[in-house]
Amino acid sequence: MASSSSSGLTFKLHPLVIVNISDHYTRVKSQLNPPPLTSTSATVNGVENQQQAPRVYGCVIGVQRGRTVEIFNSFELLYDPSTHSLDRPFLKKKQELYKKVFPHFYILGWYSTGSDAQESDMHIHRALMDINESPLYVLLNPAINPTQKDLPVTIYESELHVIDGIPQLIFVRSSYTIETVEAERISVDHVAHLKPSDGGSAATQLAAHLTGIHSAIKMLNSRIRVLHHYLVGMQKGDIPCENSLLRQVSSLLRRLPAIESEKFQDDFLMEYNDTLLITYLAMFTNCSSTMNELVDKFNTAYDRHSRRGGRTAFI
Amino acid sequence: MDIEQNQAELIDNFVKQASAQKGTALGSVILEATSHPSLFAFSEILALPTVAELEGTENSVYLKVLQLFAHGTWSDYKSNCSSLPQLVPDQVLKLKQLTVLTLAETNKVLPYDELMMELDVTNVRELEDFLINECMYAGIVRGKLDQLRRCFEIQFAAGRDLRPGQLGSMIQTLSNWLGTSDNLLVSIQEEIKWADTMSELDKKHRKEVEDRVEEVKKSVSVKLQTVSRLKLSSEGSKISTLNLVE
Repeated sequence: MASSSSSGLTFKLHPLVIVNISDHYTRVKSQLNPPPLTSTSATVNGVENQQQAPRVYGCVIGVQRGRTVEIFNSFELLYDPSTHSLDRPFLKKKQELYKKVFPHFYILGWYSTGSDAQESDMHIHRALMDINESPLYVLLNPAINPTQKDLPVTIYESELHVIDGIPQLIFVRSSYTIETVEAERISVDHVAHLKPSDGGSAATQLAAHLTGIHSAIKMLNSRIRVLHHYLVGMQKGDIPCENSLLRQVSSLLRRLPAIESEKFQDDFLMEYNDTLLITYLAMFTNCSSTMNELVDKFNTAYDRHSRRGGRTAFI
Repeated sequence: MDIEQNQAELIDNFVKQASAQKGTALGSVILEATSHPSLFAFSEILALPTVAELEGTENSVYLKVLQLFAHGTWSDYKSNCSSLPQLVPDQVLKLKQLTVLTLAETNKVLPYDELMMELDVTNVRELEDFLINECMYAGIVRGKLDQLRRCFEIQFAAGRDLRPGQLGSMIQTLSNWLGTSDNLLVSIQEEIKWADTMSELDKKHRKEVEDRVEEVKKSVSVKLQTVSRLKLSSEGSKISTLNLVE
């Protein structure tokens, strides 16, 4: 069903679409709790999991400029299980509304969730072909796989292939790149850093912070290594000298060491000492309050023996 | 680096012109190249075979001028004034700009006195004008002028053409940088491990203390039962307040 696409279109996907699809899926899934005993959801029969993961559907919109297709946004659609098609009047209404706000956006295709493209999806795909001659099918796999390194999103196009003498439309997978606007970058960054707060303890937060710095330095390291390799190659004569690059590298290297003035050392040490002092002070306060509590408990516990029939002074 | 991008076209132009000409005609091309306000890179032109041919002929002065502009400074020009042709004011300006770049190679903070000496400028006002108008607005240098301490702090300076020996030192600097960042990575990993180990130890310690508290509680409650039976007669009410201990 899925081979590599040959249409030559380049796809650019915005993170907003991915967040929308996953949000839609999460909402529907959590609203199904407790799950219905009778399977009334419109999923494909005979799914392997016990709990039928609900499938959500919607439309993706964006811009197509020449050979580049950029998918900006998406919205949800209702799926009618009886007719195996999407809700057309709603789609038209939404299309008009979006056209008013974003006049340049066209409906580029549709999305759904699941692990793989199914045969029944072709019906929906064909139905959308009257809006867009070659719609896209964006599939999000909601199964969480911790070992997987790339996004579980695939974009399928439809191509006419001749199979067994019959020309058929099949889905072919296409590659895509992620394109971000500044606002999207900020929100994705924010969400990515949200994890450690529910970890709570100081050690995990410190570890998370250090891990972030570690990966940043590792990236810098790999890039410096590439430059180093390149220069060594140039010195040995394997690579022809490119003067403009050498000039840029020399100007870059002249910026090192980046911070070495005396004033920096002073400020840095002062701030370091301040932090240490405050930690020490906090520790002191903690200790003295614990000591105070201990003394109180001691008094209450052991004072009683001497209190028989008389009063003793408080320690 | 936008300077490099700006220069790329100019360099291509001049390379084409220079490779098409020979001898004295080349001299005029070199003159044009060295006076052009946005061109600071000459090693491509120097590398051309037609230019290298100038060595030893009567036009070798042009080659010397090109070499001076590629690697030398204003003081080099002054000391060799006799063997080199007279420079046009544009060339003088460019040579002074290149001198600033060379000075920026060695120090990041340049005192005004040194700059004034190198550039043959007598007062501070002229020096600052030169730095601001010719160097910073041209984009070859970025930095801060500190009037109180009379120095120029350079944050960024465009690269000059490389002398053959400089490649080795650049590689050395790069490998040092690599080494430092590798060490830093290792020490960060150790810190992360330390943080995890300390939190583990802390959790264990806390658990131990809680276990001991439980034990003591149990033993005290056992003792309480035996004690309360004996002393129930006299201190009944007071002993029942033993729960304060817990």
